[in-house]
Amino acid sequence: MGSRVRAASYVVLDEAARRRRQRKALEALELDNFHDDPHANLVMHKKAPKFDESLDGKTRPDRKRKARSFEYFKQRFRKTFSSLLEEEQQLEPDPPNYTSAAARPSARPERHLCAVCGFPSTYTCVQCGTRYCSARCLHTHQDTRCLKWTS
Amino acid sequence: MTASGTLVLDNGASLLKAGLASHKDPLVMPNAIMKAKSERRRPFIGNQIDECRDASGLFYILGFQKGYLVNWDVQKTVWDHVFGKDCLGLNLSRLNVVVTEPFFNFRSVQEAMSEMMFEEYDVAGLLRANAGDLCVAAEPARPDNLCCLLVDAGYSFTHVVPYIQGKKRREAIRRIDVGGKVLTNHLKEIISYRQLHVMDETYVMNQLKEDCCFVSQDWRRDMKQAALPPADNPILRHYVLPDFTSLRRGYMKPRDSAAAPAAEGEQLIRLTNERFSVPELLFHPSDVGIQQMGIPEAIVEAVSACPPETWPHLYRNIRLVGGSSRFPGFRDRVYAEVRALAPDELPVKVTQPEDSVTCAWRAGAKLAGESRFSSRLVTRAQWEEHGFNICLDTFDV
Repeated sequence: MGSRVRAASYVVLDEAARRRRQRKALEALELDNFHDDPHANLVMHKKAPKFDESLDGKTRPDRKRKARSFEYFKQRFRKTFSSLLEEEQQLEPDPPNYTSAAARPSARPERHLCAVCGFPSTYTCVQCGTRYCSARCLHTHQDTRCLKWTS
Repeated sequence: MTASGTLVLDNGASLLKAGLASHKDPLVMPNAIMKAKSERRRPFIGNQIDECRDASGLFYILGFQKGYLVNWDVQKTVWDHVFGKDCLGLNLSRLNVVVTEPFFNFRSVQEAMSEMMFEEYDVAGLLRANAGDLCVAAEPARPDNLCCLLVDAGYSFTHVVPYIQGKKRREAIRRIDVGGKVLTNHLKEIISYRQLHVMDETYVMNQLKEDCCFVSQDWRRDMKQAALPPADNPILRHYVLPDFTSLRRGYMKPRDSAAAPAAEGEQLIRLTNERFSVPELLFHPSDVGIQQMGIPEAIVEAVSACPPETWPHLYRNIRLVGGSSRFPGFRDRVYAEVRALAPDELPVKVTQPEDSVTCAWRAGAKLAGESRFSSRLVTRAQWEEHGFNICLDTFDV
């Protein structure tokens, strides 16, 4: 019964789809958080813009200058990493620079590890290309992750 | 430049190390704002996290992205806390400040840092340097350390930097985009898949990584041993997860209790090959699909990019710094691999300071008292006269 159901919707991911998934996996490794801000829906939000820093009326004479210059900073220097990188690449197009310093691919062959148990693997899932080491790991993979969350 | 008049700030992406140069040890705290599910009224800044009762599902807000400081809001909040009365209680306007930057720091970030220090904090003098430069400059000059090959294994990436006569050789610097963050995230992913959903638990998983992981000296042998049944398995360990009511911090159970079942209410994580396959990423980033060479190969490449007459000096003085170099077995593994790859006739020596995390801070503190460093400061007067250009001329970042 199981194999009949599967045969009806037999999908094999092509090379492009596999590379897309790999890239997503790599991007996931760079994230700081995997869940949402727990304070995001608070009515009293700490990150609300503070227009008047001193609510109790105590203002130093140069306070206004400082507050203004920090607001100026935040506007001027609010950039994402990719826009900063682009800017830097224009300023310093010749090596040595950030881009040229990146290590190149290794001369050693890649080692393949089973996605399920982490031990060395020799087999690849036909549909999605994930590596596995044994029939048991293959069944776990097919039941849980194979082609779930296809991108 | 005096030690008591200088603040040394090693501004890392994960940990911030700050203190007056005259202090014995720096204040070490996370360089982030953290939000807890249970404590909805306030975020935790830096070391305030110690006050948090329930550190599960902590949400991190970092000023750094991919190793470079992009979010000044967050950074200023953390700095205000560090310099404020809860921590150091300093007024920067009378102090010289030594602050660290990553290698190849972007021009606009350098500008922002200089402006932030002079305009916002009113410092008396500023010195921006790479953390590695401080580590190398603080070593007393001996005939065997004319050159140094520094490996800085940090949170965002790992840099291999050759220093020839105290000056870094920019075209030979190599960056591997694997650091503490990638290691912790990879660990979270594999544990989430195999055992328990921990993707939200960065704080706890980081502690697990620091407590249980080690660098294998022989990957094949350790893989075989990790697969053995529990009685013969030298690598299998269980880690007790904190529940924040009775147990605030997790710990690894000792070997002989591996067979014993979990006690009442304990949540255990079973660790076999994860213990060494996670730090293995520093040596084989291709294990997760990052197409870059590992640390030993990068060392050889970096040295080869330098003039041949420096090679013996570089191989003889390899230094490992940075938080991610603290895994047990890291130094021995780097030595073994570099010895195998380097030319036979050249001696190879790999050293690690006592504390890889505070090494750069201590170096900065030591240098703060030396007169040769004062020529490298940019004073307030110089900043007001020349602006950012004087920083470009004075600092070698």
